[in-house]
Amino acid sequence: MGKSQHCRIALGAGAALAVLALAAFPAAAQEAVKIGEIEAQTGALNTYGWMSSQGMRMAVEEINKAGGFEVAGKKYTLELTAPDTQGNPQQALIELKKMLEEEHVRYVFGPFLTNVYKGIEPYADGFDGKFLMIGGATAIHFDLGKPQHGYLLRSWNWDAGDAGFGSLMVANLKERGAKKVAMLMQNDAFGHVARDIYAPLFAKEGIEFHEEWFEPGTTDFSSVLAKIAAWKPDYLFPGYTDAVLYDIVRQATEVGLTRFWLVRGSLGPGLKNKDAVDDYIIYIPKYFEEAEASEAKVKKFVADYKAFYKKDFPYDQAPLCSSSCYDHVFMLVEAMKKAGSVDDVAKVRAALLGFTYEGLWNIRYDSTGEEVFNFDVVDIKKGGTIAVTHFAPK
Amino acid sequence: MLQLVVGQLLNGVIIGTLYGIIALGVTLTFGITGIVNFALGAFMAIGAYAGWYLTDGLGIAYPAAIPLAVCATALMGLLADQTLFRFTRNNLINGLIVSIGLISVIESVLLMLWTTTPKNMHYVLPGVIDFGWFIVPRMKGVVFLVLLAVILATYAALTRTWTGRAAYAYAQAPEAALLMGVRTRLLETGVVVYSTALAGLGGALYASLYSLEVSLGSSYILKGVEAAILAGIGSVMGSLMGGILLGVTEAVGSIFFPQAYRDAYGLVFLVLVLLFRPAGLFGARR
Repeated sequence: MGKSQHCRIALGAGAALAVLALAAFPAAAQEAVKIGEIEAQTGALNTYGWMSSQGMRMAVEEINKAGGFEVAGKKYTLELTAPDTQGNPQQALIELKKMLEEEHVRYVFGPFLTNVYKGIEPYADGFDGKFLMIGGATAIHFDLGKPQHGYLLRSWNWDAGDAGFGSLMVANLKERGAKKVAMLMQNDAFGHVARDIYAPLFAKEGIEFHEEWFEPGTTDFSSVLAKIAAWKPDYLFPGYTDAVLYDIVRQATEVGLTRFWLVRGSLGPGLKNKDAVDDYIIYIPKYFEEAEASEAKVKKFVADYKAFYKKDFPYDQAPLCSSSCYDHVFMLVEAMKKAGSVDDVAKVRAALLGFTYEGLWNIRYDSTGEEVFNFDVVDIKKGGTIAVTHFAPK
Repeated sequence: MLQLVVGQLLNGVIIGTLYGIIALGVTLTFGITGIVNFALGAFMAIGAYAGWYLTDGLGIAYPAAIPLAVCATALMGLLADQTLFRFTRNNLINGLIVSIGLISVIESVLLMLWTTTPKNMHYVLPGVIDFGWFIVPRMKGVVFLVLLAVILATYAALTRTWTGRAAYAYAQAPEAALLMGVRTRLLETGVVVYSTALAGLGGALYASLYSLEVSLGSSYILKGVEAAILAGIGSVMGSLMGGILLGVTEAVGSIFFPQAYRDAYGLVFLVLVLLFRPAGLFGARR
């Protein structure tokens, strides 16, 4: 091999390296901001987590595909870690430990489930000031503003209070002439929180209230429903997960309980039993079937979902995307831009509390860190006729 | 109140037949192979998922999907018997360990195939039959009649056919049965497979009534064992009666006490019975 040939090989190799380096340069210039998600993607409680996880993946993909985002003159992309907790607090704790200790994630979305939050909260307290947790769990409400809980933001409307959908829905129930409401609730952390929230609201409106409980895993409710039916309530206020609601609604209609009033869950159980129910009133963050026709952002989201996942849009689950989901990723990015930092969590938190994000929902946080967003109340009548009422809390 | 109690008595009888079909599997397997097959609950889940998938996934009519689901479960039972249970014959502890291990395997496979998200079959037979005083959901009525027919047919087969009498003979004196020409290995395998088929049938019918999740069989196998003990292990009709008594105790108990503790009512009843009749209600006195 001659000297000139050596030179040519060396030049060629150098040129190839230069091309590779140039090609790699944009990626190297864009640092990734790690975000985590701890939600139940499968399992009996996955109503609260599956849609959030679906929407979050879409948001991350959209942001990265558009070239990332710029904060203080520097380009960033997002890197999502989204393990499936299956609604299991122990699993969620393991995943959170990995995120905070090994991957140094500063922004964690979820959990939506109170039992999961209760399981991870003592550990998460130790990282106060080092990360933000944006979750929809009802129990988060009670910890907002407490010492060592500055990492918390709650991504769901609070049931009670002036802007609360619960107070409004109970008042609405009174207007419908309801005098007796029976609650059949899962004997777990959220079930008891729900009782503690709603029993006083019913009492305030002068509605008689009766409570019954069941153990997780129950599928046959016929005995307790027969007992409730004998009490002759005007409405049944049943459990909060689709996993039990399908069984409860079916079996309730069989014993003559045909009016339901719910503050959690999807439209699915009501629609599946549409010929048997007389009234199925449910708090729905957004009635997508209607919003798709009237709101451009919703229409785009539905189309993007179908293209991204290559499957039908889950209209029954989509309303749950109001908690720690698609909008919240965009909102976090906006907050980081406003804060001028991707890692100063105190500044990002302050920025999140300082503006309203207009996405699929109009989202803002109140001074405690609790979210306020517009929502719908859907009323399914016999045969599947649907009436929607829109609310925009101030 | 009387109306409520009568309604729940009937509801308890219907649910009790589901316990009874599992109890029958437990009692048959124990009588012939000497093991308590705790995996029968998992086989029930196979039947349930197979029934649901064949109906809602593949669009096969539900009446046709039931025998297919039962066959699929029986096939799994045969596989389990030939690879595992035949090595544990008459060894209670080994059989127990193998059957408990098998539960994990079956549940994991179901999880891999269909995740932990509950499945809901479309309504096969919606609506209720109104008797005036009380109502019975149509599908529950059908499930009750099918299970009752199968349990009675099993009883008839065991008492009126040569194979049935051979099974009884083998349960009482295995060596004597062998000397009389009973093909004991085939009998043992046949009973294990038949028990899993019964569990599969229970599961396929269960799918038409309730939501499915992979561990659905865990409570049913416990109820099945409870019912078998309540009746007295070895009694075929006792299994049915044990299941019904358990179902009735739970259903009626839930009227007077909190529903959240319904599982406890059956257990308390079982303890009370065993205090006075240690061999069970239909078991032989010692």
